[in-house]
Amino acid sequence: MAKPKILVVDDDQDLVRAMRLRLRANDYEVTTAPDGYSAIASAQKERPSLIILDLGLPAGDGFVVLDRLQNSDVLAGIPVIVLSARDPQSNEERALKAGAAAFLQKPADNDELMNVIRVTLGRASERPATPLSP
Amino acid sequence: MDQLTTNVLLIEDNPGDADLVRLRLVEGHLRVKVNCVSRLSDGLAFLTKESPSLVLLDLNLPDSCGAETFRRLMEHSPKVPVVVISGQDDEVLAMKAVHHGVQDYLIKGDISSKNLERAMRYAVERQALLRSLEIAQEQQLEFKNQFLSHVSHELRTPLTCIHQYVTLLLDGIAGPIAPDQAEHLKTILKSVNQLHAMIRDLLQSTRADSGKLRIEPRCIAIGDLVQQATAMLRPTANEKKVGLEIGLEQRLPLVQADPDRVLEVLINLVDNAIKFTPPDGTVTLQASVVEADPSSIYISVSDTGRGIGPEAKALIFERLYQDPESVDNNRSGLGLGLFICREIIRLHEGRIWLSSEPGQGSTFTFTLPVYSLAKLLAPVIAYQNRLRPSFVLVRIELTPLTSPPRGNWKEVWQQCIEIVRHCVYLDKDLVLPPMGTSGTSETFFVVASTDLRRSGIMTTRIREQLERAADLKTNGTLTMTSVPVQLPVADIEESLDQQVQSVAACIAQMIQTSMERKHLSAGKSAN
Repeated sequence: MAKPKILVVDDDQDLVRAMRLRLRANDYEVTTAPDGYSAIASAQKERPSLIILDLGLPAGDGFVVLDRLQNSDVLAGIPVIVLSARDPQSNEERALKAGAAAFLQKPADNDELMNVIRVTLGRASERPATPLSP
Repeated sequence: MDQLTTNVLLIEDNPGDADLVRLRLVEGHLRVKVNCVSRLSDGLAFLTKESPSLVLLDLNLPDSCGAETFRRLMEHSPKVPVVVISGQDDEVLAMKAVHHGVQDYLIKGDISSKNLERAMRYAVERQALLRSLEIAQEQQLEFKNQFLSHVSHELRTPLTCIHQYVTLLLDGIAGPIAPDQAEHLKTILKSVNQLHAMIRDLLQSTRADSGKLRIEPRCIAIGDLVQQATAMLRPTANEKKVGLEIGLEQRLPLVQADPDRVLEVLINLVDNAIKFTPPDGTVTLQASVVEADPSSIYISVSDTGRGIGPEAKALIFERLYQDPESVDNNRSGLGLGLFICREIIRLHEGRIWLSSEPGQGSTFTFTLPVYSLAKLLAPVIAYQNRLRPSFVLVRIELTPLTSPPRGNWKEVWQQCIEIVRHCVYLDKDLVLPPMGTSGTSETFFVVASTDLRRSGIMTTRIREQLERAADLKTNGTLTMTSVPVQLPVADIEESLDQQVQSVAACIAQMIQTSMERKHLSAGKSAN
């Protein structure tokens, strides 16, 4: 079976590099995008199995990206894990309502992040092909 | 006096005095609309509906007298400027009035149109000034909070980067490392985690300051949280060779508390205790009920450290306080932990205190309210001074399909409890607050004052409605049971209140047994 592909969207390139190494070590294929605009373009081109999304991004912040993904027929099925340094009290619920599968605060525990990725991917593969009506 | 004072409320019961005030206003060519009422209660009612630019207040009214009059008015409407018009030339009373925020105190006999007009104009001006100061203060606080929130976000970003690269190296992802190098990296990681905790505390204390620290109380077993906190800090204690012991009383009542926040308090206290206990010492967590105060549960964290002196004792819960004699001086943190603990416990309407003698160790104790089923259930158990004949306990358990549950699980079960609330009779049934720590399955209880037949109809309706909720279908499974309550044999001598208590105790027992069974079966598959 092919390795699941994960799109990491973050404007901090140092962090992206570390994430790439860690995800590869955990047997995932990794593609990255530095801003909101390229995140959508990348999602369309690469069709990742999962997206790890920062909230504070140039060219369309994380919520804009979530909104675009949800409103796209072909991309709405891709699960999104929001990974942000922002305060969960004011952002977690909003992100989940906007369609994110999970919210983790930076710095996230690596084991927890890997576990959430595993569970989210597992769930996505069980899901029916047609997206649920809202 | 321009448009500001076009609308004046005059509270005056003497028609002659009221006319005099009106006359003075006319003489002064003031274009004001005077609304006159003769009772304080009517004045307060007027202020609830309308916002006049000024209140002229007589102190001796049919329903209120003296200082009490302005006190009640100011309490009701703190923002409106008030000028007292009194028959009493009483300087002490006048000072008291001004002290309470009244803008001026005029004596009825001395009022000329000119000084009335001036007093009114100044009162409005001063009140506006005061208000703008208040607004500025609120804005400043808001600015400070936003700033701290921004700072903590900005600090987290580089911290995340350090955390990522240290763990990359430690986990050997970037290549093999020597054992002593691994030790160095672990030291870096420990400091990173400390920084992270400080940033979290900074944000929590800002929330506490601005009243944004919120709690979501549930009905929980404190023992679970004590175990959880101990499990989390066991490695830290082992590393320092400090013993960690638990002493839980048998059959502790459930408490009404926010599990996440109480866990935060426990972790904070235990972590502190470990920090200040020398190797081979012991930290002990205890939970008990005190006979003299049955409505609270007492949770304490004791250590065998060097103790805390009386000076530090008085200040230890204050924000930013640090014990100058603290052993671990180079790593004393921000001094926010105990302040946050106190604020969290205060939100639970509990108390937190410290008992300590230098050289004898310290004990931090806090209280949490016992979950009082009797108080909640009283209107369901008794109606029109009579005990209702029969009750059914309905248990609803929602189990997420995956573990850990997916992101919106909390939203799903909250939606479910709303649906359940809509399915019951408001006057006969009660949906109890969620039980246990959240995370895995959610259990709700409905106490229905009915026999099994109506409860059967009710549970069918609940089941149908819940199953129709699409979110539940895709996220979890539903288990429901109904059990009739075996009522205790009624003692004719007992008062209604005592009977309510014993029925509530009976139901509480059933719930507790049911929750304990859930604990035993936790981890096993369903059946």
